[in-house]
Amino acid sequence: MSYTRGTFAALVDALVPETPGLASRGPEHVPGGLEAGLEEAVVERVNSFVETRGLASLAGDAVPLAPAVAALLDAAAAELLVRRRAEAGLRSPDDAFAGGPFCRLSREDRLRALRLLEDDGVVAALSERFDAASLGTVQFLASSLPILVEFVYYSETTADDGEHSLGWRQADYPGPSDGYPVLLGYEVESFEENDY
Amino acid sequence: MRERETDVAVVGAGGDGPALAWRLGQLGVDVTILEAGPFYGNEEWPAPNDAPGGEASGDPADLSGTLYDEQFTSREGDMNDPVTGTLRWGPADDDRPPWQRTVPQQALIAQLSGVGGTTQHYYANHPRAFVTAVDDQPQWPIDYADLVPYYQLLEEVHPVEPAPTTPKAEVFFEGARRAGYDLNEGLNVTEAGYRPFPNAISQPDERLRRDGGDGDEYRYPDYEGDTLAMHEHQGGPHPREAPFRERARRSSNVSLVPRAFDTGNVEIRPNAFATDVLTDDGPGSVEATGVEFRDTWAATTERLYADVVVLAAGCVETPRLWLNSGLPDDGWVGRGLTTHWFDFVTGIFEPGAVESLVGQPAVEPHQGQAAGSRLDVPGVGAVAVNTFAPGVTAMAVYAAGRGEWAFDRDTAGEPWDSCGRLAGRELKERMADYRRTLTLICHTDDRPRRDNRVVVDESTEDEHGPVPLVEWEPHPDDDARRDELARRGAELLNEAGAAHVHRTDAAPILLHMQSSMAMGKVLDAGGEAKNVDRLFVADHSALANGVGGANPTHTGQALALRTAERVAARYFGGVDDPVGDPG
Repeated sequence: MSYTRGTFAALVDALVPETPGLASRGPEHVPGGLEAGLEEAVVERVNSFVETRGLASLAGDAVPLAPAVAALLDAAAAELLVRRRAEAGLRSPDDAFAGGPFCRLSREDRLRALRLLEDDGVVAALSERFDAASLGTVQFLASSLPILVEFVYYSETTADDGEHSLGWRQADYPGPSDGYPVLLGYEVESFEENDY
Repeated sequence: MRERETDVAVVGAGGDGPALAWRLGQLGVDVTILEAGPFYGNEEWPAPNDAPGGEASGDPADLSGTLYDEQFTSREGDMNDPVTGTLRWGPADDDRPPWQRTVPQQALIAQLSGVGGTTQHYYANHPRAFVTAVDDQPQWPIDYADLVPYYQLLEEVHPVEPAPTTPKAEVFFEGARRAGYDLNEGLNVTEAGYRPFPNAISQPDERLRRDGGDGDEYRYPDYEGDTLAMHEHQGGPHPREAPFRERARRSSNVSLVPRAFDTGNVEIRPNAFATDVLTDDGPGSVEATGVEFRDTWAATTERLYADVVVLAAGCVETPRLWLNSGLPDDGWVGRGLTTHWFDFVTGIFEPGAVESLVGQPAVEPHQGQAAGSRLDVPGVGAVAVNTFAPGVTAMAVYAAGRGEWAFDRDTAGEPWDSCGRLAGRELKERMADYRRTLTLICHTDDRPRRDNRVVVDESTEDEHGPVPLVEWEPHPDDDARRDELARRGAELLNEAGAAHVHRTDAAPILLHMQSSMAMGKVLDAGGEAKNVDRLFVADHSALANGVGGANPTHTGQALALRTAERVAARYFGGVDDPVGDPG
């Protein structure tokens, strides 16, 4: 397990964890993102966000951003700890996680750390102070992470057969359809060209 | 460098460019549309994401329902993934990353490249502008009445018709009735009220009545019109196996592009990213003479010379192209962007509550049209049913919030039970309730402000020049309108019997975008640039404001049709039989 993958595993686990407490709703509701290999799908996408230019394009089509994002998550975790904003203590990282401070936070504290990158943390404060678009893009990138994780998990992306992903099964979504017989009628038959 | 000539060069085959091209084609004017993205459902490009394919298409016989069925799978990961999806803002070549924008804040931009533009994933909602947003707000140099003949033409040809009532729509209507709203039955909205959406989706076959289904495959030719499959966001290719132009959801590629091709005067060149508006500096004025563009597969540069240039690249790329071309900036280029400052409120219903309203235990958000019913609140905005497949639900409703996570918020005294982004067990519980969920979107009547803008990020270039820099923040007045809509939406859901109401408190979602090159500011009342002759803008950036929070496509296309007649009147010998007042 690499540093990058292990840090994204801790992010995925904070957003879509295993939930033994939901077993009463059915066994399919217990597994979470790590079970589906979600961290790998997310790392792949983060590494495909931005195209390379010039000499850098000799090394690949896209900028390998994921290791930098993992480092930012650790920096945000350190900031959370230094500013005494963490509400739970540090813990030993899960086997699937890397060893940095982000991976040692509780699930909710990991999301509070992510929040510092979006707003309220040192990067956001510097971006305000210097009005620097390049710093502001860190805020954009950070807020994209939960969107990407939750979208990929609840789409069919992680399914072996292209349809029956954990997310679709947990939502009880039957997948694409040609149509449904659900017409009840019309509240308005046709709109009027009324005066105004 | 390869060079060609035409009468009118249009940049962008999105929602509005094809409307303008169709009308110009009818008037005998030759039009070439340059589109940055791919052309799906066209035999010139049998593998549009893997190989360059042909060069241009203008023959209706090129359009292929068979290819459309292959390319649009209806699966949300395939279609909607913002990085790798078939429908994204990026080049046709899907081995390449999306095209870059600099967005220095928490936000989401949901624009698409490709013929049809963002209408490829739109819900075909075609309400007219609120009357007061055009006639009473100060920005518009024309009257609402000037738009009406063009609205009427679109309503006839798409066609635009009342959305059918389905169980989820009836839950919404009953909530609205109980909250005290009247039914709006008119096309011209001046009072608060609820109604089915005027949608550009052909109405469904009567055999699709509930309990009337015979278990058939709901495919063409057995079924024509909408099949209530709710795949608008995934490209809306139903009914399956129909000819390309007979698909029920009337995105511009399906409805207007074939009509434009029928005129024999319009061709579209996809995979062509415009990078420079060419000009002659005349005595005292600048005049547009053509467009330089880059082939996104071959990486070659070409020029298209024209008597008139029309920019229809959307609210972000039109000002970017303008600024990268060094055209004059009077202070409002790229400024005054409106976004409808979206939010979501979502109700989860117990089976008994839904059963008593509509005779079935679940809301079933994945059945029926994606957005078929709405509440109009002129002066404030609108609240509409907005339903998605699960991945997009999680992304938009539960992950796209701003501010503190839901677990760090207190909602005591609010009309919602939870607010903010969800994660962990709470997210999984809400998503396990997916089929009992009804989501409403709030479209705020946000007002144009100069600080909300699209400029260029001189420090970041891609192969098309400095990339766009997009900044949008709500004014406190816009926040107040959005709060009011969220409260009205929550009240409606509570009246309908929701057991749990959640508010997203969304970060800026830039999907509806308007007014960044506004008529009355950058453009004259005919849509022509005040400071550049023979250069027009015909996309949503030309709208003078956010049309009150009504979905903008109808007004964008109506204005594009009107602008086509202005182009013909000013530069191509007039219009014999104008749709509207020739002015």
